[in-house]
Amino acid sequence: MATFTFQKHLSRRAVLRGAGISLGLPLLEAMSPAFAAAAETGRAKRFVGVSLALGLHNPNLVPATAGRDYEPSLYLKSLGDLRENFTVISGSSHPGVTGGHTAEGSIFSACPNMRGTTSRNTISLDQLMAKHLGHETRFPSLVLNTGRQTSPSYTENGSMIPAENDAIALFTKLFVDDKPAEQERQAELIRQGRSVMDVVGAEAKALQRELGSGDRDKLDAWFTSVRDLEKRLVANEEWTHRPKPEVSLKKPTAIPRDNEVIVERIFLDIVHMALATDSTRFVTLHVTGNNVNGIEGVEESYHGLSHHGMDEEKLRQLTIVEQGVVNEWGDFLRKLKDGGLLDETMVLLTSNLGNASSHDNKNMPVLFAGGVFRHGQHLAFDQKNNYPLPNLYLSALHRLGLQEETFATSTGGIAGLEA
Amino acid sequence: MPRAFFILAAAFAVSTSTPLLVSAAGPTPELLHFLDTHCVECHDADVKNGGLNLADLDFSLDKSDHFALWQRIHERVESGEMPPEKKPRPETAAVTAFLKDLGDPLLSVDRTDIATHGRVRSRRLTRVEYEHTLHDLLGIDLPLGKLLPEDPESHGFETVASAQQLSYHQLARYLDVADLALDEAFSRALEGDIKYTKKFTPDELIKNRGGNYRGPELRDGSSISWPIGLQFFGRMRPTAAPADGWYRVTLKDVQAVNPGKGGTVWGTLRSGFCDSNAPLLSMIGLIEATKEKRDLVFEAWIEKGHQLELRPNDGDLKRAPTGATGGNVSFKDRDLAADGFSGIAHRGIEMERIYPNAARWGVRDKLFGKDPLKNWENDPAAAVDVILPRFARRAFRRPAAPEQLAPYRELALAALADGESLHAALKAAYRAILCSPRFLTFVEPIGPLDDIAIASRLSYALRASMPDTPLAKLASNKKLRDPDVLASEVDRLLDDPKSERFINSFTDQWLKLKQIDFTSPDPRQFRNYDPVLEASFLAETRTYFAELIRKNHDVTHLVDSDFVFLNSRLARHYDLNLPVKPGAGLQKVAFPADFKTVRGGLITQGAILKVTADGTHTSPVIRGVFVNERILGVHLAPPPPGVPAIEPDIRGAVSIREQLEKHRDSESCASCHRTIDPPGFVLENFDPVGGWRTNYGTGGKGVKIDTSGTTPEGADFTGIKTWKSIYHKRERSLALGFVRQFLTYATGAPPRFSDAAILDGIVEKAAAENYGIRSLIRASIGSEIFLSK
Repeated sequence: MATFTFQKHLSRRAVLRGAGISLGLPLLEAMSPAFAAAAETGRAKRFVGVSLALGLHNPNLVPATAGRDYEPSLYLKSLGDLRENFTVISGSSHPGVTGGHTAEGSIFSACPNMRGTTSRNTISLDQLMAKHLGHETRFPSLVLNTGRQTSPSYTENGSMIPAENDAIALFTKLFVDDKPAEQERQAELIRQGRSVMDVVGAEAKALQRELGSGDRDKLDAWFTSVRDLEKRLVANEEWTHRPKPEVSLKKPTAIPRDNEVIVERIFLDIVHMALATDSTRFVTLHVTGNNVNGIEGVEESYHGLSHHGMDEEKLRQLTIVEQGVVNEWGDFLRKLKDGGLLDETMVLLTSNLGNASSHDNKNMPVLFAGGVFRHGQHLAFDQKNNYPLPNLYLSALHRLGLQEETFATSTGGIAGLEA
Repeated sequence: MPRAFFILAAAFAVSTSTPLLVSAAGPTPELLHFLDTHCVECHDADVKNGGLNLADLDFSLDKSDHFALWQRIHERVESGEMPPEKKPRPETAAVTAFLKDLGDPLLSVDRTDIATHGRVRSRRLTRVEYEHTLHDLLGIDLPLGKLLPEDPESHGFETVASAQQLSYHQLARYLDVADLALDEAFSRALEGDIKYTKKFTPDELIKNRGGNYRGPELRDGSSISWPIGLQFFGRMRPTAAPADGWYRVTLKDVQAVNPGKGGTVWGTLRSGFCDSNAPLLSMIGLIEATKEKRDLVFEAWIEKGHQLELRPNDGDLKRAPTGATGGNVSFKDRDLAADGFSGIAHRGIEMERIYPNAARWGVRDKLFGKDPLKNWENDPAAAVDVILPRFARRAFRRPAAPEQLAPYRELALAALADGESLHAALKAAYRAILCSPRFLTFVEPIGPLDDIAIASRLSYALRASMPDTPLAKLASNKKLRDPDVLASEVDRLLDDPKSERFINSFTDQWLKLKQIDFTSPDPRQFRNYDPVLEASFLAETRTYFAELIRKNHDVTHLVDSDFVFLNSRLARHYDLNLPVKPGAGLQKVAFPADFKTVRGGLITQGAILKVTADGTHTSPVIRGVFVNERILGVHLAPPPPGVPAIEPDIRGAVSIREQLEKHRDSESCASCHRTIDPPGFVLENFDPVGGWRTNYGTGGKGVKIDTSGTTPEGADFTGIKTWKSIYHKRERSLALGFVRQFLTYATGAPPRFSDAAILDGIVEKAAAENYGIRSLIRASIGSEIFLSK
C-alpha cells in the first residue's frame, strides 16, 4: 500500500523548490568580523527591501516639515531612537509606472509599465546586486512574501522569481540540516537534475533549428535558464553536505494568519538571522497578507481598509495596522543596529502605492536606512512633480561598489543623501 | 507651421536611413502635410498632448514601439476621435487618403513580420494548462498548478506568449513538479491506491479534542448547525482528513430547520484547520437545505489535518447567540428551533478517499501501456523502445523521430546499465520529457500550421489540455484542414464535459472571474454579503456563458437577455420576484413578458460588478474600461502620464461623477473619457457587490446617483435599460470584440493590425448564423489567424 502524502513530498523536495535556496555554510568567521569597516570604507554589503502591497497612508507618514529638523509624523514617532539611522523621502516615485496594483512588478525594477500592459519587466534592484555579488553566500538572494507566491523580484530577462511564502519552510532551508540519508538523496536528485538539464538544453537547440527566427529569443531564454540552473545545481551539490549555521532563534511553529503584522515580524526575524549568519546578503520581502482581524481593534480586511474612501472608522483601523507594519520595520533596524550590521546593510521600506485608496502610484512611501548615508532627515520632493526614485536605487548600487551608470529611469544618484 | 514641418521632416529623414523591412514605404508628402495641418499643433515637442510628440516619432515601422504608435494614430483618426471635436475637421477625402497613406505601409510591414516570424512565438503552457495536461497524461489528480509561479497577464490573458518569460527559478520548479507528479503516478501504478472510508454519526461529530467547543448541536439523533457568528463555528474536529487527497463527502438526510419563505436554508461546507493561527478555509460546496430530507454529495481536495466546517452562511439570517462565554458554544437548556432560528440538520457524514481522474489501472496504462511490465523482464531495453516513444508521442502532442527521442532513450538505458529497474529507467526519461520545451511549449513552425499543431491549439483552446484520442487521430490522418471536419471537432469539444475547463479558464481571464475573492466587501456597508452569494455569483456567470455556447445564443446576450440563472439566494440579492424552485440549485428562469428588470446579460451580473469594484466603492472609470475593452470591443489607450487619480470618498457627500466632470473639462482627457465613462456611469446604480442602489453613501443616505449620459456616437441614455437597448443593436461590433478576446486567449497573441480583414470575414461568416457565440468560436477557429503561426 502506498504511503504517499502530498505534504511530505513537498517538504522533502524543499531543496529543489527554490533552486539554490538550500545552500548552507556557517561562515562563522563572517558573523563577527570588522563590521566597523563600513563607516570607514563607505561601502555597504547588504540590501533588504521590504515592500508593502497596500501602501502607507501618506498623511500619517509624511512629516509636515522637511530637512534635518523635521517634526516626526504619526507613524514615525515610534522610531525616535532610530532617527539618525534612517531618512524619510516624500514626493518621489518611479517615472512611467502606473496601473495601481499591477505596478507591484516595478517596485524594485522601476520598469515603466504602461498601466501594466508592457509584456516584459526589467531586472530588479536586489537581483542586479545578487547577480554581481550574490555568489559568496549560501543563497545569492532570498525572495520572500508574507502571503502569496508572487514577488517584485525579477531576473534579467524579466521573469518573476517565485517567492517563498512559508516562514517555517524558510527557516528549515536556512538553518535545519537534513539527515545524512536525506542529504544523499538530495545529492542524487541534483545529479539527476543535471542530466535532465543537459537534455533540455540540447532540445532547445534542436527546436531552434526546427522553428523559425520568431522563436529564437524565447528559446535563447531556455539556454540561459538551463545554464543558470546547472550552475546552481553544481553549487547545490557542493553545499548539500555542509552543515547549516546554528542560530538561537526558534523555528516558528505556527503562523498567525489573522495578524499580518506578526507574520511580518516572523519573516523579518528570520531575515535578520540570515544576514547575521551571512547566509545571504540580498533580500526582498513583499508584505501582502490580507487578514488583520487578529489585531486588537481591527475588524476588517487589510485591503478593504486600504480603500478607506476617507471614512473615519476605516482610517482608524488602517492606522493601527500600518503603525504595526512600520514598528516591525523599526524593530528589524534595531536588531541590525544592536548586532553592528546596520551600517553595512541598506534597508528600504516602500510600496508601489502612494495612495491605496485611489490606486495612485505617485508619492510612494519611502523609508531608507543604513548603508552609512547621511540620514536623520526628511527629503521632501515635489508632491505634484515627483522626483525619480530610481536615483535612490542607483545610489544604493554605487554604495555596494557597483559601477552602474544608470538604473531603469534614473537621472543620477540621489541628491542630499551622500555622507 | 513651418517649424513643425521641419521637425517632422527631420525625424523622417533620420528614419529613412535605417533599413526598413519594406524600404519603399517612406511617408508620402501628403501624409506629412496632413500631420502638419491637423496634428502637430497639439502633438509637438512643447505641448505633446496625450504624451504624443510627433517630432520625436520616426517612421521606423519595423520597430515595434514605433509601429504601435503609428497604428494608434491610424486607429484614432479612423474612428474620428482625432482630430478632436473642437478642432477644424479635415475633409473626408483627406482623411481617406491619409488612412491609406499610413495604412498601406503599416499593413505591408505587419504582413511581412507575420510571414517571417509568426504572430505567436514560443507559447508556453500556463500553469492551469500544465496541471490539466499532467492529469490527462498521467491519470493523476494532484493540484499541481499552484506549485508553479503565477502566470503574468498581457492583453488580459495569461496565455499570451509575449508576456511569458523563463528563468532558472521557473525551470527548477518544473523539475520539482514533474518529480512530484511522476512519484504519484508511479506509486499508484506500482503499489496501488489508498483506501479510506469512514462514517461519522451525529453523536461522533460533537467530540471535541481540547479547546473551545464550536461544533454542531446534537439533538434527537440529528446534527444541527446554526447561524452563529463565531469564527469556525460548525467545525467538526473528528472529520480531519488522514492524508492529502480527494474525498467524496456525503451528508446524510440534510434538512432545513425553520426555512424562511424561500423554502431553503443556505449554508456552506468548507475545510480547514479551523484554528485562529490557520484560519484559511477552502470552499467544498454550497448546502441548500430544504424541508425534504436528501443526501448531498461533494467531491473535494482536502489537505491532511483539515476538518469539515458546516454552517448556515446566509447574511440575511438572524444570528443565534453562542449560549456560552469565552469563545465557546453551548446548546444546553435552550431550543433554538423553538426560538425561531434557522438551521441545517443532517444525520451523519461519510468520507471516502477517491481518485476522480482515473483509477489505478488507468494510470498504469498511461505510463506503461497494456502489457504488464513483468513481460519485459528479460529484455528491458526492448521495453524502453516500445514504451518510451508512445509516452513521448502523447507528451509532445506530436510524433517524435528516433533522433529526437535519442537523448531520452539514453537516459533510460543509462539507468538500466546502472542496475536500475525498468520502471525507474522509464521514470528518469519521463522526468526529462516533462521538462522539455517540446512538452512545455507549443511547437509551431512558421506559416500555416500543420494538422498536428492545429490539433494542439484547438485542444488547448477548448479544453485547456492535450488532444484526446479522436482529435489526435484526425490530426495524424491530416483531416483538420477540412473546414467541415474542423467545425464538427469544435462542436464535439464544446459539447464534451471537459469544455468546462475552457469555460472556467476563459472566463477567469476574460471576465476576471479569478479575482472574485480578491476583495472582501466592507462589512459595515454590505452586511449581507456572504460566501453563498460569492459562490453563486461565480456559478451564475460561468453557467450563463456555457449556456450561450450550448444554445448558440447571439452575441447581444453579452449586453442583455430575456432569461437569467438564479437560485433563491441570487433572486433575493437581485430583488427578482420570480419563481425559483427550492433545492434545485442554479436554474434558468425566463423573464415573463413585460417583466421590468435591470438584470439580464453579462454586465449586470454580480460577479462582473464585484470584480470591477474594490469592495468599498465603485469607479465609473474602472467599470467603463472593463465594459469597453472586454465586452464592447473598444480598444483604449493607457492614460497619459501625470494624470492624478481621483480620491474616492465614500462618505456620500460628493459624487464621483462631479469629480470626473472636472477631469473631463480638459480636451485631451475628454477625448478618451467620452468613451470610457458612459458604461461606467450607467453601472453606478450597482454597488460593489452588485446590489441595486439609487443613492451613494452607507444606507443610501448620500447624494442621488445620476446615470444619464451620451454614447461617444451621440446616443442619449437615461440609465442601464436605455443603455442596454442602444448596445443591444450592435451585433457586429460586439461580435468583433468577442472574436478578438477569444482569439487572443486561444492562440496566445492578440489579432494584429493586418488581421482586420480576416476578423471582418469571421464576423461576416457568423452573421449568417445570427452572430451566435458558438458560431463566432467556430468561425474564429476556422480562420487564418487561428490556423497559422
